[in-house]
Amino acid sequence: MSTPIMSHLVLGYPSLSESILTAEAYIAAGCAILELQIPFSHPTADGPVITQACREAVEKNNISVDDCLGALADIRTRFPEQEIIVMSYLNRVFTYGLPNFCQQLRKLDIRHLIVPDLPVDSPQAVTIQNNGITLVPVLAANVSTERLKKLLDRDFDFYYLMSDFKITGSTFSLHPRLEAVIQQIRATQPAARIGIGFGISTKEHVQLVTSTVDYAIIGSTFIKAKMDGNLGQVMGALTAA
Amino acid sequence: MQIIETETTYKSAILNGKGHFGPYGGCYVPEVLMPALEEMAQAFEEIQHDPIFLKEFQDTLNEISGRPTAFTPLPRISKRLGGAMLYMKNEGLNHTGAHKINHCIGQALLAKRLGKQRIIAETGAGQHGYATAAVCARLGLDCTVYMGRKDYERQRPNVYWMELLGSKVVPVDDGSQTLNDAVIAAFKDWVANPESFYLLGSAVGPHPFPAMNTFFQKIVGEEIREQCLNMAGKLPDYCIACVGGGSNAMGIFYNFLDEASVSLIGVEAGGKGTKPGEHASKLKRGVEGIFEGYHSYFLQDGTGNIAATHSVSAGLDYCGVSPILAWLSDEGRIQFENASDEEALNAVQSIAREEGFIIALESAHGFAHAFKLAPTLSKEQVIVINASGRGEKDLFITMRHFQEESLLTYAKHLLNT
Ligand SMILES: Cc1ncc(COP(=O)(O)O)c(C=O)c1O
Repeated sequence: MSTPIMSHLVLGYPSLSESILTAEAYIAAGCAILELQIPFSHPTADGPVITQACREAVEKNNISVDDCLGALADIRTRFPEQEIIVMSYLNRVFTYGLPNFCQQLRKLDIRHLIVPDLPVDSPQAVTIQNNGITLVPVLAANVSTERLKKLLDRDFDFYYLMSDFKITGSTFSLHPRLEAVIQQIRATQPAARIGIGFGISTKEHVQLVTSTVDYAIIGSTFIKAKMDGNLGQVMGALTAA
Repeated sequence: MQIIETETTYKSAILNGKGHFGPYGGCYVPEVLMPALEEMAQAFEEIQHDPIFLKEFQDTLNEISGRPTAFTPLPRISKRLGGAMLYMKNEGLNHTGAHKINHCIGQALLAKRLGKQRIIAETGAGQHGYATAAVCARLGLDCTVYMGRKDYERQRPNVYWMELLGSKVVPVDDGSQTLNDAVIAAFKDWVANPESFYLLGSAVGPHPFPAMNTFFQKIVGEEIREQCLNMAGKLPDYCIACVGGGSNAMGIFYNFLDEASVSLIGVEAGGKGTKPGEHASKLKRGVEGIFEGYHSYFLQDGTGNIAATHSVSAGLDYCGVSPILAWLSDEGRIQFENASDEEALNAVQSIAREEGFIIALESAHGFAHAFKLAPTLSKEQVIVINASGRGEKDLFITMRHFQEESLLTYAKHLLNT
């Protein structure tokens, strides 16, 4: 039985092999989707927990994009059915070469990519879409009706909503206008999937979020638990039916 | 002197390009910031042709910052170097001590026009933060300034001024604790508070900042054109500016971009060596990237991570550079050089002893290059250097270098009284 959770981790933290083990633990707990982040030296939209995980992966472990692709291949070989979404800040994949990066993802049967600092209608976004990878727009409650209408005319099929105006790992709250954003997406693209993330840290948050959208996205809470050595316990509490 | 108009009109391309400068520029931010940036870009389009706004901008520059700033010949140093005649544009005479206040006044007036109440800013040397704090105090705007911990410590006098002016100064403990980390912290604040106005301190960042700050800084070159014609009887043969993000450089260069007879030289921080982490020379040693909202050259580690930088001057100690300068570098319109920490410190001393001015360490990089160039030119040629700031803020850095004993004695005195 899968739980409607998209669980996030930073590849290469605390080491490449341990991040693979964490991914396996997420799968074992029944998380519907894995969101695997390529570490970056300066994660501009992340809070202190993910920033620290990125820093250790980059500075201590020297994790390259190829290392990450290797880890993804490893997970894919053993879990051919598991849905995986990759997340990266733009500069790492831009300097790697976007077409090449997208081809590698496709070989691993990975279809979606989240790039938080890439507007989904910019030239590099077009390159990504043209190479067979679907970007996941990360939207907040202030997306205008017209802007969302424009995005809904494109080929996206998964939307990531920020719970409120905040960076990852902040205290949870749900912005009241998200309801309208969700309705607009549902009305135009009933088949599209929607996840809400940023600040989700309790079972109540998960229940609240998944009562209106498809997935609760959890990052900092799990990574913090990993840092504190109680991931199993925290995961158990959040994923229990 | 004949003015040669070239075919290209770089000037119009910069202001009318919607944030695209050749392949560079753009607006690479999380979607949550798009409404704020679109609103700002729209307002920037409007004010460029709004006589009321433009008059208020000019009046404010004159009233609170004493524009036009002086254009000063440097006869003793020119004579010693034995070549071209050197002049400096003294932006250090501005209120708060640097050119930064030009774009601060412009952006703060724009924020007011948009009905914004809260301002966010980053600062390196503290000059942009200091100017922002002063303008916010005058306009009654709430102001929060982010500053890397290392800069917070080494530019302490400016921290104190900002606080005295009623701003909140937040030291940033992330990463290398310099300007880059302050920019990121400011962006994170903006993501959490998208109704605030981010008043960015250089010709970098997402559209409209690079073009907008160029627009607010171009007054520097406009004044130089007139002052230089009056005083030297001709336009400059060379204009030189230090380059951190590029705001003072765009200020002095913009007016002359379409005149091939005026050579333009940007001088980056050579720091203490050419190895990664020892300098901040983006255009000489950086590679293409997309970071902090814009596509340009960045100092990187070769695998897409941003590298550490070093400069004795906090204002140049930054990993990226204006996308406009990146384009004009590729185009060959602007030449880029660098000057070391040591050369900059020596230039501060020369200008102090021979001409009577204490210039900022940032600006000193431009002077250091001018000292190398001048002897290779003839007496008829004119070099204009942008003295982007005055050097009082560097008291504890230059004093430690030139008179460490007296600094320590003074510190002991303070502790004992
Ligand atoms: C006096 C002075 N000059 C130059 C700079 C560098 O910035 P920019 O390249 O944007 O002019 C600074 C930045 O703090 C500064 O304070």
